Amino acid sequence: MKKCRYYRQDCLAFLLRELDSDRQQVMSEHLNHCYRCQKELREIKNFIAQTDDLKNELGRTMADIEWDRLQVAITESVFRQKESQSEAGSAAALKHRRWQPAVAGLLAGLLLGMFFSYFLLRPERWPELASRGNSKVNLPAGFVQKVDLALAQRETIDYLDRSQYLLLELLQAKSASQASAFLTQDKVQKLLTEKKYLNNQLEEVKLAKAKMLCDQIEMLFLELIQLSPQMSEAELASLREIIENRQLLLKINLIKRELQTSEV
Amino acid sequence: MEQENADYGQSNPEFLVGRIKEGDKEAFMKLVGLYQQKIYVLAYSMVREREDALDLVQETFLRLYEKINSYRSGENFNAWLMKIARNICIDFIRRQKARKKESLDNLNPERLDLGDGHDDPSRFNPGELIHQAVVSLPAKQQAVFILHHYQELKYVEIAEELKISTGTVKSLHYKAVRKLRKLLARQLGGEA
Repeated sequence: MKKCRYYRQDCLAFLLRELDSDRQQVMSEHLNHCYRCQKELREIKNFIAQTDDLKNELGRTMADIEWDRLQVAITESVFRQKESQSEAGSAAALKHRRWQPAVAGLLAGLLLGMFFSYFLLRPERWPELASRGNSKVNLPAGFVQKVDLALAQRETIDYLDRSQYLLLELLQAKSASQASAFLTQDKVQKLLTEKKYLNNQLEEVKLAKAKMLCDQIEMLFLELIQLSPQMSEAELASLREIIENRQLLLKINLIKRELQTSEV
Repeated sequence: MEQENADYGQSNPEFLVGRIKEGDKEAFMKLVGLYQQKIYVLAYSMVREREDALDLVQETFLRLYEKINSYRSGENFNAWLMKIARNICIDFIRRQKARKKESLDNLNPERLDLGDGHDDPSRFNPGELIHQAVVSLPAKQQAVFILHHYQELKYVEIAEELKISTGTVKSLHYKAVRKLRKLLARQLGGEA
């Protein structure tokens, strides 16, 4: 025979008629002779009856409710909320749409900015920009050329002046010894050195006539420096002949005037 | 015959859900009519406030509408809907308890403030005592007790709704009643 504990678990289900028919029969037979389980069954029955207080309360509250009206109210409320949610969604979409032109404008501006930045700072221009960055003063290229030309003209005129002065002394000397005393090798050498420096300038600024004349003078000075410190009368005469034949003094005057008039 | 088919469609949840998915307001209203009382019973037995229970009924149907596309055809609609309702009620009770800084889990006979009806008869309210004891039960015992006593479902129906066996329903119900008797022994009289 099984213990009461085994049957007691089924008391509630027996009371509620939730056991299958065989089990219900077995339980019924047990209850006939077990006073403990009878007591348990009575107490459960009483408890269930007590819980009916809440059940009755529930029934009373339900009696007040107008279910038909509630049915409509719930449906309307749910569909209203759904519509307001979808309206809120479309309003948000419209709000975004209103900003679209501004956003498009901003993007276009950014693209243009990027394009011009690239155009101005493109890699091909980096050396140019770097050289600009290194110089303290940025001058137009034409201005620099003009300055170079003016300086070359000034130097050439200066050179021609001093050469002319020497040639005149050579022509006006009364004797070979007087000419030798005046035309020292230092003076001639100084003019030759100056000519070497002048060569680059004359080539750069393309003063062709002046360069040709300066070259002729240079030739003369080279011959002069090769003579002995005490030149003879014949040598002096030969030099004078060169100066006169080549009309060096005249040419010097003409070139000087030309340079002076074209001076910046 | 056609009329019979139409009537069947009107009361068949599967059919109504299909129509609701297509945006049919009338079908939704029919479904509300079919289930509103059942959900109210569940909600009232858990919160024991008429207005709160009515709000929970409305919230359940709103949640149902939002989740309607997740319902799979062939699934037990009643169980699916009652699970939604039960979860909403549990969330509500948790929020309430959090406000009062009380925890359902810590509820025990010593701490259960059921009042002493024998000392002050004017405060004695069996319905309130039972309700407090019921909401203090573990979730599954509570669900079985409510479904049986207030929704008057058979064990087989409870088993189907909670997706458990009838044997488990019987066991949970017995444990629930035994615990309630213990909790309420002093207040309601009788033996534990």
